[in-house]
Amino acid sequence: MNFWEYLGTRHQQLLVDAYQHASAVFQCMVVATLIGVVVGVVTYRTAWAANLATLTTSTILTMPSLALIGLLIPVVGLGVAPTVIALTLYGLLPITRNAIVGLRGVDPALVDAARGIGMSRTMRLLRIELPLAWPPILTGIRVATQMLMGIAAIAAYASGPGLGNEIFRGLASLGSKNALNQVLAGTLGIIVLALLFDAAYVLIGRLTIPRGIRD
Amino acid sequence: MTEQAVAGATIELENLTKHYPGTEQPAVDSVSMEIKAGETVVFVGPSGCGKSTTLKMINRLIEPTGGRIRINGEDVTGIDPVKLRRKVGYAIQSSGLFPHLTVAQNIALVPKMLGWSKARVRDRVGEMLDLVGLDPGEFHDRYPRQLSGGQQQRVGVARALAADPPVLLMDEPFGAVDPITRDHLQDELIRLQHELHKTIVFVTHDFDEAIKLGDRIAVLRERSHIAQFDTPEAILTNPADDFVSGFVGAGAALKRLNLTRVRDVEMRDYPAVTVDTPLQEIFGHLRGSGTNEVLLLDRRRRPYKWLRRGDLMRARGSLARAGTLVHDTVTRDATLRDALEAVLTDNAGRVAVTGRRGEYLGVVDMETLMNSVHELLEEDRLEAMEHQHELAETRTQQTHFAQEGDGGEQKA
Amino acid sequence: MSGKDDDGRDGGYGPHGPGTDGLGAGKPDVGGLDLDGPEGLDGPDGLGPPDDGTARPAPPPPARRSPLSRIGWQRLTLLPALLILLLLATWLWFQQAHLDTISTNAISGGQVTKALWQHIQLTVISTFFVLIIAIPLGVLLTRRAFRKATPIAMTIANMGQATPAIGLLALLVIWLGTGTKAALIGIIVYAVLPVLANTIAGLKANDPTLVEAARGIGMSPLGVLGRVELPLAVPLILAGVRTALVLNVGTATLATFGGGGGLGVLITTGITNQRMPVLILGAVLTISLALLVDWLASLAEVLLRPRGLEVEA
Repeated sequence: MNFWEYLGTRHQQLLVDAYQHASAVFQCMVVATLIGVVVGVVTYRTAWAANLATLTTSTILTMPSLALIGLLIPVVGLGVAPTVIALTLYGLLPITRNAIVGLRGVDPALVDAARGIGMSRTMRLLRIELPLAWPPILTGIRVATQMLMGIAAIAAYASGPGLGNEIFRGLASLGSKNALNQVLAGTLGIIVLALLFDAAYVLIGRLTIPRGIRD
Repeated sequence: MTEQAVAGATIELENLTKHYPGTEQPAVDSVSMEIKAGETVVFVGPSGCGKSTTLKMINRLIEPTGGRIRINGEDVTGIDPVKLRRKVGYAIQSSGLFPHLTVAQNIALVPKMLGWSKARVRDRVGEMLDLVGLDPGEFHDRYPRQLSGGQQQRVGVARALAADPPVLLMDEPFGAVDPITRDHLQDELIRLQHELHKTIVFVTHDFDEAIKLGDRIAVLRERSHIAQFDTPEAILTNPADDFVSGFVGAGAALKRLNLTRVRDVEMRDYPAVTVDTPLQEIFGHLRGSGTNEVLLLDRRRRPYKWLRRGDLMRARGSLARAGTLVHDTVTRDATLRDALEAVLTDNAGRVAVTGRRGEYLGVVDMETLMNSVHELLEEDRLEAMEHQHELAETRTQQTHFAQEGDGGEQKA
Repeated sequence: MSGKDDDGRDGGYGPHGPGTDGLGAGKPDVGGLDLDGPEGLDGPDGLGPPDDGTARPAPPPPARRSPLSRIGWQRLTLLPALLILLLLATWLWFQQAHLDTISTNAISGGQVTKALWQHIQLTVISTFFVLIIAIPLGVLLTRRAFRKATPIAMTIANMGQATPAIGLLALLVIWLGTGTKAALIGIIVYAVLPVLANTIAGLKANDPTLVEAARGIGMSPLGVLGRVELPLAVPLILAGVRTALVLNVGTATLATFGGGGGLGVLITTGITNQRMPVLILGAVLTISLALLVDWLASLAEVLLRPRGLEVEA
């Protein structure tokens, strides 16, 4: 059975896996973005807090994903739970860091101007600082998403959902006729998903970044 | 204008002090001054003297650690700073426009925050763009990045004035633009102020800018101590001390020329004829005048050619070919310095003065300029002597009150 | 400029002023700007697309730019202490944990030491190859003659980011058979691209006026590279070493799926056999190794950075 035939016979299973993969990554990204931006907003004004946030998230990112997922299993069991927790944690660093960097990168003269024309603290944050910091935050979201795509594949080993299962099925049946097809389908599927997400982010960037600050 | 602009308000600073924690000396040490409604006051001083800090305390971007601020008699030291700032225009260096908002959105910010209706905000934006000399149709939807530095600065001023605040604070607003643009912007500001009569507090480190814009200038030294607070004329001709004269720099007499406009001096009455005047009459003028020269005006009475006695003969009576074209004129609003420049470069040593629409008004030459300058300086000197007399009296009074007269410099 | 002058308030945002260390301003909120200033503001690292530092589980070098920074010092002593505590706690817990035959089999006979050693070997060897491939390639691709190829390389590098490590490894195992070789190649391929992209980005970020100045005083192209560009790129190369090391420690855990050994063996054995002690031992060791390697690399970054480049990114 060649690869195309394999795709033909298994497309239903593959589509379900792809959907679950994308949906897990997407949902974890939403949560990670919310947490990351909030942490950024809360910490960026205080040097030690911002550093602590960056340090913590970067320490999490240093941990190999298989090990972190492994550590989560005794606590939350196998399946969706360790996957979701791990993906969210790994997604935090790029977003938190870029949120802090972005918020700090806002020209102080502009913040000064905003204060000077009588904007309150909340207004400055919502109307000036966050919109100006949005491009780096979006970059952080992009980077995090690509990363989570690969980590979600590994999470399949802990009975997580997604295309990783296809790869592990292939690895489990090394030497069988379908091993290559399975691994290839899983890997290419993830690449395609990652590229689709990336395209979506480019589109989101077009729609949400005002022309005045677009490169 | 569709709305009656609000004219300026008085500002009183009373012992205004800023002391940063952990520093020994206060950054601003007990500044007191009164700024009249509709007046342009320029704070000028070396960098680090606290002039900007003082300005930012007026809209409480920097909270004063001591003293009071009163705007139009109302003590604003205790009110909500956010509300205060919406009533005080604020323009800063390199415009401070928000790059992610369009020109219109930038200008609309304050009116929107004040809860103006949409239609009113929209009208106001167009009006403000008009006011600062930008075509609303062209600039309305542009982003700040798509504007030149000078245009950005205009929008910055428009934004500061959008809610029609009685007070406008400007913190080195023209510091980041090239000299030619800066000159234009200064002229624009003078024109605006003629229309609007706001109370403007302007910070700069450029003394020439201060002279050009200020009704009164406060020369500040370290910790915002007022070295001298007076009209530009008085500061130029009678600097209070070495610090001020050092700051005024060389060429005070030349700078003085910047303070007087051509319209304020006597012009010479040159015989002027238009292109429609019969030749006979022109000959008559030439023979009758002491200068052997007449100024030929075009049909809209704008200076066109200088005609000398021999010129018509040589051109065989054709006005079209006779005489030399007028290549340089000055307007009646030009400074004496500009006029001097024009006279010096003109090979016959005179220049025609024109009105708003370019119509001929008169001629200035070396002689008229010399006379005017001498008169001016003489007046200044007399005024200064009187002033000094007053000052000496105040000083004596002060020494009666205080054994050590170290507070004297503040009340110069 | 000090906190007392006109711009006193602006000083709080320091990164634009010369005194980024913020000590002069005497206000608490400026104290730590040096920590993130350089990192946050150098485009290629923080914001741009070639941000490979974060593209995979590789920690960017955040709070360690300046050896003087308070948190830097804390971090230098804090992490080893924490690791020792973590290992001690695991060991104590292990002492009293009930181990059945399967668990005992999985960790007896020096298997743990072997796995750890394998893991370290995989990491070191792969890192060595990643560096000798990626850095010269990066230098080459930024030379005049090859500059046209740079965007292509960057595109490939960005595409490579979308490839899952486990998929890459699985494909290599199918192609080359199980064993250390496939795992090693997989680890290397996976890390070369980000390190390459970082090298290119860093060399490009070198101030072009410096290169011009070097050429202007009559240096040969080789001289410019050896005496100006590479020394300036040292921080970047060190960051590359760190990225590669941390990335490789992580990818090496996956070697177990291709029969390549390493600490991943303990984790997978623990998961498949439902033996938590084995799983936890493997995970704790892996995480400790990763954090230790990252910590060592961060020390190297601080210590090996040329004097003049200490604060600058």
